[in-house]
Amino acid sequence: MIALGRTYLLATIAFLYLPIAVMVAMAFNDSALYTLPIEPSLRWFASLAVNAPLQLATRNSLLIASATSVIATAVGAMAALALERKRFRGRSLLRLLLLPPIAIPWLIVGTAMLVFFFWTGIGRGIHALLIGHVALAIPYVVLIVGAGLQTLRADLEEAAMSLGSTPIHAFFSITLPPLLPSVLAAALFAFAVSLDQFVISYFLSTPGVSTLPVEIYSSIRKGFTPEINAISTIFLGVSSALVLVFAQLSHLGGKRDSR
Amino acid sequence: MTSRLSRRTFNALVSGVLGAGLLATYGSRRAGAATAEITVLNWKGYGTDEAFALKAFADATGIAVKHDYFNAEAEMLTKLRTNPGAYDVVLINSARTQQVQADGLIDAIDFAALSNAKDLAEPLRDHPNLQVDGKPYGVAWLWGMTSLAVRHGKVADAQSWAILSDPKYAGRLALFDDSITQVGIGALLTGQDINNPKDLKAITATLKAMKPNVKLMWSSEDEWNKAFAADAFDISDYWSGAAARSIKLHSLPLDFIVPKEGAIGWLDTLAVPSSSTKKGAALQFINYMIDPKFYVTWATQSGAPASTNTAAMNALPADDLSHKIYKPEDLAKLKFMSALSDDRRQAFNDVWDEVKAFYAK
Amino acid sequence: MRSENGTLTPRGRLARREWTTAALLAPAYSWLTLAVFLPLGAMLFFSFLKAAPFGARPLQFTFDNYLAFVRRPYLIDVAWTSIQIGLWTTGLCALVGLPAAIALARATRGRSQQVLFLLIVLPFWTNGLVRVFSWTMVLREGGVLDYALHLVAPSAPSVALLYSFPAIIIGLVHAYLPYMILTCYLSAAAIDDAYIEAARSLGARTPMIFAKIVLPLSLPGLISGAILIFVPVIGSFMEPRILGGRVGVTMGTVIEDQFVQAFNWPLGAALSFTMLAVVLIIFGVSSRALSARFGAQ
Repeated sequence: MIALGRTYLLATIAFLYLPIAVMVAMAFNDSALYTLPIEPSLRWFASLAVNAPLQLATRNSLLIASATSVIATAVGAMAALALERKRFRGRSLLRLLLLPPIAIPWLIVGTAMLVFFFWTGIGRGIHALLIGHVALAIPYVVLIVGAGLQTLRADLEEAAMSLGSTPIHAFFSITLPPLLPSVLAAALFAFAVSLDQFVISYFLSTPGVSTLPVEIYSSIRKGFTPEINAISTIFLGVSSALVLVFAQLSHLGGKRDSR
Repeated sequence: MTSRLSRRTFNALVSGVLGAGLLATYGSRRAGAATAEITVLNWKGYGTDEAFALKAFADATGIAVKHDYFNAEAEMLTKLRTNPGAYDVVLINSARTQQVQADGLIDAIDFAALSNAKDLAEPLRDHPNLQVDGKPYGVAWLWGMTSLAVRHGKVADAQSWAILSDPKYAGRLALFDDSITQVGIGALLTGQDINNPKDLKAITATLKAMKPNVKLMWSSEDEWNKAFAADAFDISDYWSGAAARSIKLHSLPLDFIVPKEGAIGWLDTLAVPSSSTKKGAALQFINYMIDPKFYVTWATQSGAPASTNTAAMNALPADDLSHKIYKPEDLAKLKFMSALSDDRRQAFNDVWDEVKAFYAK
Repeated sequence: MRSENGTLTPRGRLARREWTTAALLAPAYSWLTLAVFLPLGAMLFFSFLKAAPFGARPLQFTFDNYLAFVRRPYLIDVAWTSIQIGLWTTGLCALVGLPAAIALARATRGRSQQVLFLLIVLPFWTNGLVRVFSWTMVLREGGVLDYALHLVAPSAPSVALLYSFPAIIIGLVHAYLPYMILTCYLSAAAIDDAYIEAARSLGARTPMIFAKIVLPLSLPGLISGAILIFVPVIGSFMEPRILGGRVGVTMGTVIEDQFVQAFNWPLGAALSFTMLAVVLIIFGVSSRALSARFGAQ
């Protein structure tokens, strides 16, 4: 049964990586139009090396995604905690209010933000981008952390508190440790939401300040070159390496993980 | 209950993510700016942002040029309205000029400031679309057409737009996902005025009749190139400038044809937003953009639509592809797009959405 | 089971609890208000106008935009296609994702579990548009899938999935599967081993354990995942447009056309809010049905 489960899991992961493998392969393909058969070439990496705007855009994207991930996770996890653990009037309404940001297409939300930020003087720029990205990531964080919280037992915290522990202490010693996986997962997804968020970035960034998705989105009419594949490949490679390194580190120090 | 990912992993990952972010800011400051800086609002990769041009212009005038982009004409309007003062030069399709002018967003052009304007082809420079109360609200810059592109060697009988519903090419057609273009083609096929067709029902029926042939709808040059290179279709409506690039840069086997019913012409202009604070520099840039030297380099290096500047067109090498695409005898067959009222635009969009819903069924 | 904030709790503590709740909720909801609710409020206002209020145009109120489905009957077909796409995508994600999540939670542990989990998220740190274009490479005639099939079965007919309904579903399932795996994993990982051991010692077989313990306890994750998938998929326009070809016409693409081509924000906004209402109704009905079904357990 265990072996069957593992095989199935690996098959699922293989499905997730199928287009990623193609993306990587096309980064090494000479053709700008993704034609087959593949003619091996490093020319997209070479042209990437001298493409300063694209590098700059990638840096901006990473910066915004990191900030979005941290802010949205903190703010969203707090809200999830209140929504799952506290009883108060209007709770279901607040839950429902999480749906519009993900249900209304980005294009409409983006246009609405652009107009509203213009009216209120918030304007465009990195700050506006961050406001928009965090707002779009929050519902994902609340739902993911909320799903985590639903499976944890609330009575432990209450027991701790009835034994004289303060709510804050109870939170840090009882609630947070088992919740960390969902918080971490939410942070990873918030990062992904921000990295992928092209429409809002495109509307809210100031001329000259670009992010990677903006570079891609504004080139779709004319066409983007496999340089995009090359930079995605590098980024993916570095992230996977980091993941492996951290897993290694955590294993050395984290005996409590193994059962 | 044990945590699956320890706090240490979490800390390590978060600090890794943050570290990457901090690294990203490092070195992201750019070197000092030139004496003046203007911002252009345009399609990406549409001439004004050619690296050679920006360098030559900065060397000659000391003016640096920044860009912001739009992906649809409606977006251009939105950006212009919501960012007063942000832009100094904007690309406007002449069919939109009067609409933009009516909102008070652009200034009249002082042609005395443009030394290169003397060679602009008069019918284009003085095109009625650009005039409001006898004053020009844009400099005619480039023109081109949306016409028929077919796979070389596989489609030899393309003389009429009727080929779009020819059963011989079932499942081999790609259409531009754009309501004004498709209604325009429908109008050409039903013998109507592309700017003011009376019988939208006939157009709807004509477009619906293409269903067995339609394989996909494209919305970008890139998508078109990738699908054509992968042999997904043989016939499509396509832009003349893009056709030149597909042949020149990607060696795609296509023939660009103007059918007997005619093709849809467009004229793009450069205009100066009324909120610009650097109008002098903006006009200098526009003057450079209609300079034959700029055009010839751009057209021969990567492929461009036709210039409005007769001197620039004459300066192209004799064997240049542009001569094959922009044939003098086709000019008479072009129907230029003109301004549309909001109601008409909505009616066209409804026709196209209904046709697409029919294709999808 | 949970003690209510009942008679024994001092008043002061109750007030403090309310204060804590407000403090926990305030950052997220004020942020959402500033960045999403107020802007969307403006859009809601637009949706009752004849034209977006720019330039010197006078404000003209109308309810016409909400009659779009009456005026344009073909939109009903389009809406139905979108809902079908949403149901297929959500269903397949659940079918594929739940077992994968359970396998991840129960059949792996320690470091390999962490690495596998991160491996599931990593692909989504790449750009969605690039991923969609990569799918066109996989699905087209003569593409990766076709090629692989002919390696195994040379005489098989060629598979050309691109520009079809299944292509849209494959692309969307790929894009949203990680959300389902993630939320189900969080639920499945929290199942106490003691329950399963107890059941086993009482003689329960694996399918029984799955049906009676693992599945019901994973349900919260399944529901969160379904929301995270169904809601955005209904309005998606990129995957249908690029992978669907002729059949890729959805509410998402129709709304996009209103904004991009017709420049009719009021109609586009009205269609979005109608779609939102439909989504909310679907969720209202299904959550009622679910709680009636499982509430008793």
